[in-house]
Amino acid sequence: MRATFFVALAVAASSIAALAQAPAGVPRGADGKPDFTGVWQGSSVRPGKWEDANNGLGVGGTGKDPTAPPSLGSQQVITEPAPYQPWAAAKVLESYNKRGIDDPAALCLPPGVPRLVMVSLFPIEIVQTPKRIVFMYEYMNVFRSIPIGEPHPPDIAPAYLGDSVARWEGNTLVVDVVGFNDKTWLTGTGTFHSEDLHLVERYTRVSKDRIDFEATIDDPKVLTKPWTIRTAMMLREGTRVQEYVCAENNQDPGQYERLLKEGVGFRR
Amino acid sequence: MTIETRRAALAAALTVAVVMWAAPARAHHSFGAEYDSNQPVTVKGVVTKIEWTNPHSFIYLDVVDAAGQTVNWKLEGYPPNVLYRTGWKRDVTMKVGDTVTVFAWRARLGGPLAHSREVTFADGSKLFFGPPAGTGDGGAAPAVKVP
Repeated sequence: MRATFFVALAVAASSIAALAQAPAGVPRGADGKPDFTGVWQGSSVRPGKWEDANNGLGVGGTGKDPTAPPSLGSQQVITEPAPYQPWAAAKVLESYNKRGIDDPAALCLPPGVPRLVMVSLFPIEIVQTPKRIVFMYEYMNVFRSIPIGEPHPPDIAPAYLGDSVARWEGNTLVVDVVGFNDKTWLTGTGTFHSEDLHLVERYTRVSKDRIDFEATIDDPKVLTKPWTIRTAMMLREGTRVQEYVCAENNQDPGQYERLLKEGVGFRR
Repeated sequence: MTIETRRAALAAALTVAVVMWAAPARAHHSFGAEYDSNQPVTVKGVVTKIEWTNPHSFIYLDVVDAAGQTVNWKLEGYPPNVLYRTGWKRDVTMKVGDTVTVFAWRARLGGPLAHSREVTFADGSKLFFGPPAGTGDGGAAPAVKVP
């Protein structure tokens, strides 16, 4: 709890610091817009190189240091519970009670959006030009190549990461995403959605080191109202996005099958 | 307590409250279903094999049990990229034949299978090889309000 409190303080303090920071520290592209090019870590507010920003967290869980945060994810700020319709909330809760054994990512399928931005174990590389921004995610080695200033095409086939187009609102890059299939989670265990998912992501580089990220999730088929999630991404100079071939040695689904078949109690 | 410090404390308390809602997927997928956070175990033994593979790596360790029998333990952990970024060097940090101590949580299926957290080397230095207990199983609270 003490550690959570400390992290919370750090989140609050860094938010205030981020607001106060002059945008002058933010690199700009040829078009004068903020340039997001670089390697980033999602769901973090700790500045510094990867190794420094990701050490010293303790054993966690029921380990040797019970005050350690359960995971780096403690640094994420979700401002409200997901406003699912009652039947859908029951489905999310069922996944949670099954401890996420039904996670589509367990089968090495692409995680959804904004889940990809929330994954902090793996870096994200952004390459930006005035007409395009490309997000390359180490996790599952998937990418999004997003035109800036173009509309969605009229013929979108449902996809794991949807169809993204970007536009500028002042210094904020707004990414509009539609055309999803219904096979991914939004973020967090069991947070399913329908093909009607409409996502609006806002990326604001508030300092050299930090992007403030906000996602507004709308899906009238499963939610009662739009759900907004906020977190930050931190610049990780010196880190390289690398290969990640998930299907190489994925033994866990086999173990899950055994748990289910042998009736081993794993539910909450 | 000044108004400012009270305000800061309130802000921090509110932040704690919102942080509690839901933790995002941190690792590949649910360690919490497969391994039991109520069964911590510390094993010391000789490394017989290391699989630096995705989505997870594995350490195999020959451990002599109380009855004097050697049992080969299999310990799951982070993928190689995650390990490299936090200080591991393949074939340097830990090699076959090294004696190490691993703090882990046992598999619900039983047997000499566990999910590793901290590896202690012969010289006393330590590195994490796997995530904390319960990783990927949804955290302390679901993403939705429980009615």
